[in-house]
Amino acid sequence: MKKVVYISLTLLLVAASTAFFLYTRVYNKPHKDILGTDASYTVSAEEILEEFMSHEDHANQRFLDKIVRITGEIQSIETANGMAVLTLGSGEGSGGVICNMDPSENKRILELKVGQELEVKGICTGYLMDVVIVRAVIVNQI
Amino acid sequence: MQLLHIVLWFLLFTLTATAQDQFITRNGYISFFSHTPVEDIEAVNNQVLSIVDIKTGEVAVSLLMKSFQFEKALMQEHFNENYIESDKYPKATFQGKIMNLKEVLSGEKGVATVSGELSIHGRTNPLTMEGKITISDRTLRFEGSFMVTVADYDIKIPSIVARNIAREVRVTCILDHHPYP
Repeated sequence: MKKVVYISLTLLLVAASTAFFLYTRVYNKPHKDILGTDASYTVSAEEILEEFMSHEDHANQRFLDKIVRITGEIQSIETANGMAVLTLGSGEGSGGVICNMDPSENKRILELKVGQELEVKGICTGYLMDVVIVRAVIVNQI
Repeated sequence: MQLLHIVLWFLLFTLTATAQDQFITRNGYISFFSHTPVEDIEAVNNQVLSIVDIKTGEVAVSLLMKSFQFEKALMQEHFNENYIESDKYPKATFQGKIMNLKEVLSGEKGVATVSGELSIHGRTNPLTMEGKITISDRTLRFEGSFMVTVADYDIKIPSIVARNIAREVRVTCILDHHPYP
C-alpha cells in the first residue's frame, strides 16, 4: 500500500515539474535578450542600407530576425506612439536605418543629439523605404 | 523678363503644391487583435510605412510582418514561422484610394472610405474600410479598423490551437502622416 502511495506521489511530482517547465520555458519563454546576446553582424548604417537596396532578398536571408550592431550618424530623433525612434544614416538619399528604441533606453535618448555618431544593437525586421530595427539598445556613444 | 517671372511663379506654385500633396509616415501604428473565449492575442507594429496623396486620393501602406511584437515570444515565433511564414512573405501591403476625397478635403466629412487591395501571406483580396481622417497643412491623421478573415489569406491554423485563435481578427491602424518630402 505504501509503495502505491510513493509511486503515485513521484508521478505527480514529475507531471507537475514537467508542466511547470513547459509553462515557464515554452509557453512563457522570454523574448530575445538583446543586451546579453552578441550581435550576429556588425555593420555601418550605410552598408546595411546599401545591401538591402541592391539585393533585398539576399539581405533578408542574412539579416532578418538577427541581432545586428549598427554604427551611424543620427539623422533624427522622434517619438511615435510613445516610443523613441532614431534614424541613422548618411542623410543622403531618402533612406536610412530606423531604430525603434527599447523603452528602457528612453532616459539615455534624451542626451542624444542629431549629428552625433551612435552605435546601437537591435533586431532587424526588414526593409521598406528604410532598414527597420526594433527593440534597439544603445551600445556606444561615439 | 516677364516670361521669366511667369516661369518662376509657375515653378514656385507647382513646387509648393506638390509639397503639400503627399503625406508620409514611417512610424505608423497597426495592431491586430484576436479574441476567443480561451485567450486574447494582440500584436503591435510601430514601423508602418504609409503614403497618402491628397491630390489623387491614392494610399499606399506597407509593413514588415516581423515588426509585429507579441506579449509572448512563443506566439511571435509561431506567427512568423508557422502561420504567416514571414521568411517567405516578409511584407503586407495595401494599395487603395480614398473614395470620398472631395468630401474629406472640403471638411464636410471627417470619415474617409478607403477601398483597395490588401496583400498578406502572398494572397490579395479587396478591402474597404472606414476611418476618421483629419487633414491640416502639417499633418494627415487616419484612424480606422477593419476585420480580416484569416482563411481568406490562406493562413493555416493547426487544429490543436484552433480554439485559441479567432477566425476573424480586428486590425486597427493609427497613421500620423506629415508632409513629404
